[in-house]
Amino acid sequence: MMLWKRIRYLLNREALDRDLQEEMRIHREMAEEKLNQLGTPKEEAHYAAMRAFGNATFAQEASRAEWAFFFESLVQDIGFGVRMLRKSPGFATVAILTLALGIGANTAIFSVINGVLLSPLPYKSPEQLVVIKENDSLPNVMDIQRQVRAFSQGGGINVDRMDYTGGSEPVQVRVGQINAGFLETLGAQPTLGRIISPQEDAQGGPRVAMVSNHFWQNYLGSDPHTVGNTIHLGGNSYTVIGVMPASFAPPVEHADVFVSLWVGDPGAAVQRDVHFMHTYWRLKTGVTLAQAQAELAAIDRRLAEQYPAEEKERTRQLVSLHEWLVGDVRPALLVLFGAVGLVLLIACANFASLLMVRASAGRQELVIRAALGAGRGRLIRKALTESVLLSVLGGGAGLLFAQWGTSMLLALKPEQLARLSGIHMDTRVLLFVLVVSVLTGILFGMAPGWIAARADVAEALKEGGRSATASTMGHRIREILVISELAVALVLLVGAGLLIKGFSRLRSMNPGFNSANVVTMYLQLPPMRYGEIPKQTQFRRELLARLNSLPGVQAAMVSDIPLGGNYVGHRFVVDGRAPVAVGSEPLVQTLSVMGDYFDVMEIPLRAGREFTRLDREAQPLVAIVNEETVRQFFQHEDPIGVRIRWAGDTGLPRWMTVIGVVADVKQSGLNQPTDPAVYTPFSQSGERWRRFMTLTIRARDASPALVEEVKTQIWSLDGQIPVGDVRAMDELIAVSLAQQRFNMLLLGLFAALALILAAVGIYGAMAYAANQRTYEIGIRTALGAQRSDVLRLVMRDGARIAVFGIGSGIAGALALTHLMASLLFEVKPTDPTTFAGVAILLAFVVLAACYVPARRAMRVDPMIALRYE
Amino acid sequence: MGLIRSTEPDFLPGTLEMLILQTLKRGANHGYGIAQHIQQISNDALKIGEGSLYPALQRLLMNDYVVGEWGFSENNRRARFYKITAAGRKQLAQERRNFDALLAGIARVMETP
Repeated sequence: MMLWKRIRYLLNREALDRDLQEEMRIHREMAEEKLNQLGTPKEEAHYAAMRAFGNATFAQEASRAEWAFFFESLVQDIGFGVRMLRKSPGFATVAILTLALGIGANTAIFSVINGVLLSPLPYKSPEQLVVIKENDSLPNVMDIQRQVRAFSQGGGINVDRMDYTGGSEPVQVRVGQINAGFLETLGAQPTLGRIISPQEDAQGGPRVAMVSNHFWQNYLGSDPHTVGNTIHLGGNSYTVIGVMPASFAPPVEHADVFVSLWVGDPGAAVQRDVHFMHTYWRLKTGVTLAQAQAELAAIDRRLAEQYPAEEKERTRQLVSLHEWLVGDVRPALLVLFGAVGLVLLIACANFASLLMVRASAGRQELVIRAALGAGRGRLIRKALTESVLLSVLGGGAGLLFAQWGTSMLLALKPEQLARLSGIHMDTRVLLFVLVVSVLTGILFGMAPGWIAARADVAEALKEGGRSATASTMGHRIREILVISELAVALVLLVGAGLLIKGFSRLRSMNPGFNSANVVTMYLQLPPMRYGEIPKQTQFRRELLARLNSLPGVQAAMVSDIPLGGNYVGHRFVVDGRAPVAVGSEPLVQTLSVMGDYFDVMEIPLRAGREFTRLDREAQPLVAIVNEETVRQFFQHEDPIGVRIRWAGDTGLPRWMTVIGVVADVKQSGLNQPTDPAVYTPFSQSGERWRRFMTLTIRARDASPALVEEVKTQIWSLDGQIPVGDVRAMDELIAVSLAQQRFNMLLLGLFAALALILAAVGIYGAMAYAANQRTYEIGIRTALGAQRSDVLRLVMRDGARIAVFGIGSGIAGALALTHLMASLLFEVKPTDPTTFAGVAILLAFVVLAACYVPARRAMRVDPMIALRYE
Repeated sequence: MGLIRSTEPDFLPGTLEMLILQTLKRGANHGYGIAQHIQQISNDALKIGEGSLYPALQRLLMNDYVVGEWGFSENNRRARFYKITAAGRKQLAQERRNFDALLAGIARVMETP
C-alpha cells in the first residue's frame, strides 16, 4: 500500500537521503570517468560533469519531494490546527479538559481492570490451576490426589497460628500447614534450600519448616546460611530447610512458615471430618474443567457411601483459580467500567457539540475555501486533524488525571483488591489511552467535519452569514447530542442512587451488637502447657478476673468474634425428636464464651437467662441459642429447657439444656444472612482444641494505653503468649462495609462528573441556540412579543429536551440497572423512589441550565439585534 | 518548504518514466547507465538531466514499477541497479498504448493542412 510505503520511507528518511546522495555522487564520477577516457583533462572533466549534472541540491530536493509530499501536507495541517487552537485558547481549554475528565476516569478504572482482571496470576501456567471451592480434610485431599486422573498435581493448605518465641517478644506467626503437592502445584521454587519432600510429609515425619522471604528478613536476619538452623514454633523445634522467594505467596492465605500438616497438627491430619484445607489443583494438559468436575462428582458419591457420617451431603465444586480470586470483584469493576464509559460518552457529546459550534462559526471560512477549490476530503481532513489533535491532548491530560485517580483508587480499595497489587500504568494502559483518544477524535470530529464539508457553497454564499434559519441540520444534531447526554447522565445517576440507597440500608443494618468502644484481641494458648481443658479454663478465668478489676473496663471472651468471618460449625441432635440420618443433622455455628459476653457486646437477651458464674465445669451443661436457631428449628415449641447435643459426639451423650435466647448477630458480614448459632460456656467445653479466643473489652476509653495494660496483664500470667489482631470493633464494621463503600463512592463520583458535564453541555447548547436566535427574537420583540413570550420560547426547547432526555434515560436505566443487581443490598434495580428522585433532579438541572440563556434572550434589545445582523 | 515538481519542459509528462521502463526492459541498470542509454539510442536527441532522472526513479520506486538494489558495475564501481517489476511491465505497455494514441492524434492534427 502506498500510504504504508510512504510511512516506511518517512521513517527511513535519513538512510534514503544518504542513498540518494551516494547515487548522485557516483553518477557524477561515472560521467567524469567517461570524459577522461575521451581525453578531456582531469580537472576540466570534473567541472564538465558537474555542469552536466546541474543543480545537485535541486535534484535531491525534487527527488525527496516525491515521497515527502503526503507528510508535508499533514504536518501543514497539524501546524494549522495548532495555530487555530492557540487563537482560541478558551475553546481549546474547555475541549481538552472535557476529554481529559472522560479519558482520565476511564484510564484509572481500566488500569485497575488491567491489573486485576487481565493480568495473569503469578504462578506457573496459571490457566491450568483450579480450586475446589469447598474446604477439605487431609484424608479426602489424599484420596482425590490418588484417584482423580484429570489432575496432574494438587495439594492443600490450612493456615494456623503458632507462637514464635525467638524474637524480643512472643509473636503469633501464620503457619501454612500443607501437604505434599501444594507447593509443586503452584510451581513454587525456594531461593535457598529445598521444599518439603513427600517422604517428610507423613505421620511422624521430621520437624522441618520452610519460611517466607518476609519471615527470613524479619526474624532470621536475612542469614544466607539459615538452612539447617532451628526455630521454635508452638513449643516445638523445627529445622529450617528452605526459604521462599519474596514473589511467592499462596493465592489467598497469608503464611510466614510452611510445615507439613502431618507434623504441625497430627491430630487434625487424620480426621476425615475436619474440613479446613483450601485445595489447589492443576489440570492435565487437554483436560477441561467439566471433565475434572465429572470425575470429582464420582469421588463425592464414593466418599459419601464410604464415610456417611463425615461425607454425606458434601459436594465439591471446581472453579478456575482466576475466577475464584477475581469473581467477587469482577461485577463491580465491570459496572464501574461501564459507568466511566458512559461518562466518556457524555464528555464526547460535549466535545462534538463544541466542535460543531466552532465549525458553524468558521463556516464562512470553509465556504470560501470550498469555493476556491478545496476538496471535500481535504476539508474533512482539516477538521479531523483539529479534533484528533484536541483529543490526543485531552488524552495526555487525562493520563495525568488517571495517575492521580489511580492512587486515589488504591487508597480506597477494599480488602478484596488488596492482594492484587499489580495496579499501575503499563503499555497496555497507555495503548488504551491512545486508542480511546484517537478514536474519540475521529468519531466525534467526523460529524462536524462532514456537516461543514457538505455545505452547499452557492447556498451558503447567498445566505451571506445570516444564519437565522440556517443549519437546521446542525441544530437537530446538537439537540440529539444534548438529549443523549441527559439520558446517559440519568442512567449513571440512577445507578449511583441505587448504590447509595443500598449502602445506607447496609449501614443502618443492625449488626446485633454495639461496636462502639469495644477493642478485641486474639489469643491462642500453646498446646504443650494448655493441652487440657482445666488448664485453659484456669488461665481464662484468671485473665478475665484481672482485666475486669481494671477501672472502667468490662471484659469477656468468645471463640470467634462477629464479622470476623470465622466460626466452627457443628451438626446437632434435639432430645426427643425422631432420629435424623447420620450426616444430615442440622448445622449451626458454635461459639464458646466466658464472662458476661452478651453484656459486653450489648447483645440483647430475648428469653430465658444469660450464663452465670455457676454455669461452669462439673455443673449441668447449658447452651444459649440465637433467634435464627429458634426460627429454623424450634418454630412450634419453646426452646427453653430443650436438650441438645453435638451429633459427632462419641462416648456418653453430653446433653446441653437451652437456657436462653439472644438476638441475632452478623457473624460473616453485614450483607450476609444470619446463620443459626449456639453459644456454650468455654468451661463446659469438651473440645480441647478450642485453645483460641478473642478478648472483647468494652472501656470508656479504648486507648493504646489500655491495650498495653491488657498485654501486661496477659504476660504477667504467661509471658510466652503472643497477642494478635488488636482491633477496634468499629474497624471490623468498616471493613465489612468497605467493598460497598468503594462501589458507592466511585459510582457516585462518576455520576457527579456526568451530571456536571451534562449540565455544562445543556447550558452550552441552550446558550448557543438562544444566541443564534437573537435576530428572530429581535423581530418578535419588535412585532410586540412580551418578555414572557420570549422566555416561553426558549424554555420550550429546554422542556422538550428534558422530556425526551429523561424519558429515554429512564428506559435505558430500566434496561441496564439489572446488571448491577449483585452489587445492591436490599434494593431492587428498579427502585421507583430512586428513579423518580433522579428524574426530578435532572429536570431541575435542565430548567436551570435553560433559565440563564432565556433571561439573556428576554433582555434582547430589538434595535441592537436587528442592526447586529 | 515549497513543493518542487519538476520534469524538464521538453518532455511530455510521463514520457520519461516510459523511457526509463523501456530501457530497463533490456536488463537492470544504474542511473548513469539509463541516462547514457537513452542519449545514445536517441542519437543525442534526448539528454536527460539528473534533476529529472532521479525524481522519476523515485516515483517509479514508490509505485513499485521498479526495485533498486545496490551492486557493482562492470568496472567494479558501487552503484544502485534498478530492475523492472511485473507491475512495471504492465505499466509500460499501458503507457505505450497511450503514447501511440497521442502521437497518432498529434500526427493527424499536424498533417491536416
